[in-house]
Amino acid sequence: MTATAAPIPFPRLLAVETRKLFDTRSGKVMTAILAALTVAAIAARGLVAGPDYQLLLGTAGIGYGTLLPVLGILTVTGEWSHRTALTTFALEPRRWRVMAAKCVPPLVTAVVAVAFAMLVAVPVTAVIAGVEGVAASWEIDVAALLGWTVSCVLGVAMGLALGLLLLNAPAAIVITLTSTLVWSTVRLLGDVGATLAEWLDLNTAATPLMDGELTGGDALRLAVAATFWIVLPGVAGMIRVARKEVT
Amino acid sequence: MIELSNLTKAYRDVKALDDVSFTVEAGSVTGFLGPNGAGKSTALRILAGLARPTSGSATVLGQPYAALPNPAAQVGMLLDAGAQHPGRTGREVLTLGAMTLGLPGRRVEEVLDLVGLSRKESRRTVGGYSLGMRQRLGIGHALLGSPRALILDEPANGLDPQGIQWMRGLLRGLADAGCAVLLSSHLLHEVEQVADDLVLIGRGRVLAHGSPAQLSQGRTLEETFLDLTSHADRSHA
Repeated sequence: MTATAAPIPFPRLLAVETRKLFDTRSGKVMTAILAALTVAAIAARGLVAGPDYQLLLGTAGIGYGTLLPVLGILTVTGEWSHRTALTTFALEPRRWRVMAAKCVPPLVTAVVAVAFAMLVAVPVTAVIAGVEGVAASWEIDVAALLGWTVSCVLGVAMGLALGLLLLNAPAAIVITLTSTLVWSTVRLLGDVGATLAEWLDLNTAATPLMDGELTGGDALRLAVAATFWIVLPGVAGMIRVARKEVT
Repeated sequence: MIELSNLTKAYRDVKALDDVSFTVEAGSVTGFLGPNGAGKSTALRILAGLARPTSGSATVLGQPYAALPNPAAQVGMLLDAGAQHPGRTGREVLTLGAMTLGLPGRRVEEVLDLVGLSRKESRRTVGGYSLGMRQRLGIGHALLGSPRALILDEPANGLDPQGIQWMRGLLRGLADAGCAVLLSSHLLHEVEQVADDLVLIGRGRVLAHGSPAQLSQGRTLEETFLDLTSHADRSHA
């Protein structure tokens, strides 16, 4: 076989890492759960709350807030749980390129997940309006929709960054899932706690974004929280992966 | 072709490798022998660029492995046959490797034939493979490119006697075609018949280096091996 002595191009790594997400049963199950929960949440909310498109759409976001970061975590920690890093980094010793290729598909998935929810909410809204005999509300707040999309992407990015930093899926998942709880406690600790949460809790900082009402001050707080939860752990994690001994 | 020079790897108070030097020439097979924990895997992982030496250097085809462009297309590696995602099929493992290296899909079929895994076996998930099948898969993965150097860590582990014989023939053929082959083992009989050179290592140090005939010196090779490694083995984990 002719040896290709040219460096591996990034698109090829991207294709391989994307394929790895779906070539095992666990990957397929994760995708199916994400899709099924989206449909179930939107349909259930529709039955209770009536045919309000924007409201039904937002319901999918509750599941996404948890599942998308977990998807990010599992994607970047997978090579360490099964020790396949041994093979992967022997194929491409420039590890940061592999990790960068791993980060792209989950980020794209966040956008696709929003588009999927938009698609699913259309027939659900129409059917419920028809069955209940009431007029459907098709109003969409474009700013809020965009803000929600960005916050889904940020959620995945946080999962990726924590996963990279800890290289341990259970630890990163626990931190992600309990952070909401921890921050609501911190917020109760007087003015200092409230200010801390405002600047450092990604969920709190992203709320104005999801409401489509981001002001200059909000944007600054969001940038600080994103630096704290995404940029710093992401960079530290990349350095850790690049230097770590693979055994 | 494969060269370790003055390789030392120190962890806090233990020297996993202590000034290890040897060369594997193109067209020859070197058996890297030593008891478990002697430092064989550490040396091979440094060769693969997966761990850094404290001092010294390791090169393959004249360069550090990680500095080669698309290194796995030129250097075949099997570092741990057990390190596979149990939910992936054998065929998929090879497909991912071929994709990364930029090889056509038919290379997967060729490699399956080469290592004796049937089409049916290739479609099963690796979780259900015996260790022997994982070794065949791992050897196949190492042969995906057209390796001019081959580095295998304990490839005979889990192979049945027929499998070991098959592997000997395969490695001999590759070496005769000009490939530099380095394989490690903790069992002498797995490598003595195929190796042109033997490097015996214990507690991170090279204890002996030479052809099987040179090392046996009138005694059986087994006696020499046990003699050289016994006290090194006892005082080390």
